[in-house]
Amino acid sequence: MKFAIAVFAPAHAPASRRALRFAQAVLAEGHEIVRLFFYQDGVHSASANVVFPQDESDIAAQWHTFIQQAQLDAVVCIAAALRRGVLDEQEAGRYGRPAANLPEPWVLSGLGQLHEAAQAADRLVSFGGV
Amino acid sequence: MATLHVLSHSPFTDGRLASCLRVLGPEDGLLLCGDAVYALADASALRHPRLYALEEDVQARAVVAKAAVEVVDYPAFVALTLTYAKVNSWL
Repeated sequence: MKFAIAVFAPAHAPASRRALRFAQAVLAEGHEIVRLFFYQDGVHSASANVVFPQDESDIAAQWHTFIQQAQLDAVVCIAAALRRGVLDEQEAGRYGRPAANLPEPWVLSGLGQLHEAAQAADRLVSFGGV
Repeated sequence: MATLHVLSHSPFTDGRLASCLRVLGPEDGLLLCGDAVYALADASALRHPRLYALEEDVQARAVVAKAAVEVVDYPAFVALTLTYAKVNSWL
């Protein structure tokens, strides 16, 4: 079956961890993830500048590793990301900001990508709040 | 068309659980995760036949489930989302 997964929570929120564990289980059970979509505060889960204390799980790094290894389509909402200071090289250059913190394989794009993923998938599962 | 409702907020901090129980149909499922598993401490409030709770969150909070609940791990969570036609997360 095909899954679209939307993440509304930052990396330090338990909801982001649950989304990651759920996504890992989806693949482990032999299903497909058509797209991961990071929206609202979920864009912080994609930031490369998040630093966790050493005795805590680095969920942001685990997202990055998971997406890279599984070669997933991981889209970060561009409007939500810009207002929260999550920028790729192109946007940092466009707005004259000193640094970019959104490396590959993350992709900045619009909300239409969530709509399209919801249409293409058998299930849309959202994670957010706490 | 049955829906799986997913709740993660504590029933002691807001009215999400009460709102959810009001709209819950007899065929719908309710999955408690995060602080929402504290709702299991009061069996009288949860008499829904299709009640689930996420194992790691139940264990992490040492909640003793008094309500009749099926405890699920992540693979079972994935299977649940396919058992129901839709998944509605109470963000």
